[in-house]
Amino acid sequence: MDKGNPRELWEYVLTQVELSVSSANFNTWFRNSFIVKIGEDGVLYVGVPSQFFKDWYLKKFHTLLLKIVRGISYEFRNIEYLIVKDERRKAQNEVKHIRSALELPLDEFYINKSDNLNPRYTFDTFVIGSFNNLAYVAAQAVLSRPGITYNPLFIYGDTGRGKTHLIQAIGNQFKKQYQGRKVFYLTSEKFTIDYTDSVQAGTANRFKDKYRQYDLLIMDDVQFLSKKTKTEEELFHLFNTLHDTNKQIIFSSDRAPVSIPDIAERLKGRLASGMTIDIGEPDIESRMAIVRKKAASHDLIFPDEIVEYVAAAMSGSIRELEGMVNTIICHAQVKGCIPNITEVRQSLRSFTRPQKNISVKSVVDKVASFYGVDEESIYEKTRRREVVRPRQIIMYILREDFNISYPTIGTKLGGRDHTTVIHSCEKIKREIIVDNELASEIQNIRTLLV
Amino acid sequence: MWKYINIIYHFLLIPSINYTNKTYMIISIDKKIFSEAVYIVTRFTERKNTTLPVLSSILIIAGDDGIKMRATNLEIGIDLKIEGECIVKGVVAIPAIILQQIATSLTYEGKINLEHIGDTISLISGTGKSLIKTIPYDDFPSIPFPENPKNRIILPGIILKNIFTSITSCASTSTIRPELASIYITIEGGILTATATDSFRLAEKKIPLSNKGTQGKFLIPAKNALDIAQALPDEDIIMSFDEHQCAFVSTGCMLVSRLTNAVYPDYRQIIPKESIVEAIVLRKDFENALKRTAIFSDSFQKVRINFDPKKKIFSFFARNIDIGESSETLSANISGSALNLSFNHRYLSAVLALTGAESLSLLAAGIGRPLIIKGVGDTSLLYLVSPMNQ
Repeated sequence: MDKGNPRELWEYVLTQVELSVSSANFNTWFRNSFIVKIGEDGVLYVGVPSQFFKDWYLKKFHTLLLKIVRGISYEFRNIEYLIVKDERRKAQNEVKHIRSALELPLDEFYINKSDNLNPRYTFDTFVIGSFNNLAYVAAQAVLSRPGITYNPLFIYGDTGRGKTHLIQAIGNQFKKQYQGRKVFYLTSEKFTIDYTDSVQAGTANRFKDKYRQYDLLIMDDVQFLSKKTKTEEELFHLFNTLHDTNKQIIFSSDRAPVSIPDIAERLKGRLASGMTIDIGEPDIESRMAIVRKKAASHDLIFPDEIVEYVAAAMSGSIRELEGMVNTIICHAQVKGCIPNITEVRQSLRSFTRPQKNISVKSVVDKVASFYGVDEESIYEKTRRREVVRPRQIIMYILREDFNISYPTIGTKLGGRDHTTVIHSCEKIKREIIVDNELASEIQNIRTLLV
Repeated sequence: MWKYINIIYHFLLIPSINYTNKTYMIISIDKKIFSEAVYIVTRFTERKNTTLPVLSSILIIAGDDGIKMRATNLEIGIDLKIEGECIVKGVVAIPAIILQQIATSLTYEGKINLEHIGDTISLISGTGKSLIKTIPYDDFPSIPFPENPKNRIILPGIILKNIFTSITSCASTSTIRPELASIYITIEGGILTATATDSFRLAEKKIPLSNKGTQGKFLIPAKNALDIAQALPDEDIIMSFDEHQCAFVSTGCMLVSRLTNAVYPDYRQIIPKESIVEAIVLRKDFENALKRTAIFSDSFQKVRINFDPKKKIFSFFARNIDIGESSETLSANISGSALNLSFNHRYLSAVLALTGAESLSLLAAGIGRPLIIKGVGDTSLLYLVSPMNQ
């Protein structure tokens, strides 16, 4: 037993106590107690549920407990009793009332329940850059002639690119432009739950009617429908009904319709039948614009160097970019002035990705196993075709994703010249543009490496 | 005041009677008093199957300061003084369920004599005699009293009783969030405010106090409050509390309860500051119409209300696919704009138990925002109910 570990110590004490008191007493008084901490000065703090317990411990069990802990070590001078918070003792497995979930909890008012839209997402707060310009234009086209121009509108892109913002903004704008028409926003997960619930309750017909009444239906994250065959079928029918009656449908997903796995072909085709738009990675200028806009919404203006630093530090996810800006805003509000560049660098350290510390060996390992070649052969001088390709890809990934210098890559991969490495990287870079298969292979390898 | 403090000291005294087989207790109590006392005290015993049998029993103490009954389930505790004749001093613990069953069957005449011999106690009332096995009382826990009762206020027991019984129904029954399963009491500026919410509706009651000095706040578990309310006398009581305990003391009775150790949500911020429409309806109309409409509510107990300021009509509507539908219109004094909201009818009718006002005022702040109900002329109550998904 480790006498410095409160849990082990208490367990030992309990086994001793159990011998000295009746089991009825033991179960009543000791079941909900534990050692909170062991004080520096040898005082043991025992947590009990209420004053009743505290008084009774002091009166009945104090000498017994003291005797036991003294028996373990003379370090323990005394025992004190603390009344601890309820959270540590509360019942774990309580059945939640599903019924009551229908009412709005009093503290969540900011989402409009009749259409599920968050009013925070509007086009006013939406930053348009080259990466999402096409999506924006399509959204405007949808708004000007809903149900006719692009139906369905399918928007996809990686997480944190602003898909949800865009589609909710369409919903909010639609509500403003066409008063009296019905909008509904939901995630595919909500749709699935709704469907299963209605099947369970035997009200599948009501479920169908509910969704068919909308003039604009927005469904977020459709990729989660994969493998849910029945729900997909329901969506398929819903789609047909809405589409036939010229009701606008908008989908978002993290990948293109064709690459959503395990989803029925007929649904795939329908998802892609309107307009499919990719929101790419925001370029540096757009990121800077986003940072400025976000800061401006809090009535702050960042100096250019901070804007540039933040935009350069975070590529990809706008959500994380916003997180960074929020951190700076918080600093500014606490201190009363905008922090300088060194302070910003300091406070944003937590956002920089740890990924860069990945070892060359693990990259080699992953790629070699991906192509089914022997890991050793990568380091060897061999020029067999099946080894050369993976080796070049390893070099390319090490250079592109992890910014390792050409000479280092060369040394690490069996003492090659840096020009060889440069050549390999350039070659893959060229081929990736024309060879889609290669591009997707590299994409797959990247997911393995994260 | 000194009178009260003396009482507290008496309660703290632990009976110094040596229990052996030879000593025994003989007391004689009026049947009516005995039955009532048992009825009150039984609520404080552990009613579930417990590991410690003494927790589901009543401790009867006959000592220098009269006869007392004690019970605790480690959440709440009671020490009740009862009138009676103490012939021989003693202490005895008797299973509460048995005692309660006997007490309810007693007719209200004459006296009941309790004689403790060995490990049994005999109850003699008129012509009948029953022997009950007692429980060793050594394990009976001491009932704690707030150590440092600096925070104390005096108020009539009947008021506290009314507050506890009316507003407890609005507290959450789930123990997932212990703070919501509690009543939040704040004392500030000579006003006592009691609040209960289950996050779908909220009730707040205010009462003025005679002494204005004390300040403080605590959370008492709603279940405990209800049990305490049943035992509170109508006369003035002292309510005192510290961090973990609260106590209610009157001349013949001391009640204690554990407090919830949690932070209560800042509910003030969810009360809408402004309203877009207000309706004043007669309570009687409201009650009857709601009752009839509720029959037609669906499985979610949904009832729709409508404010029509032009026609000065307030209406209820409910539809159940299996039963049919119903609508009720009441003439009302309505100012503001027209509005439709849906509610769980149980939450609407709950307000009727909270106020005795003849007219009700309903203030709505818009779609998806909570409805405020007040009694006209009754400033003590604020009732807030959240609408259902339309």
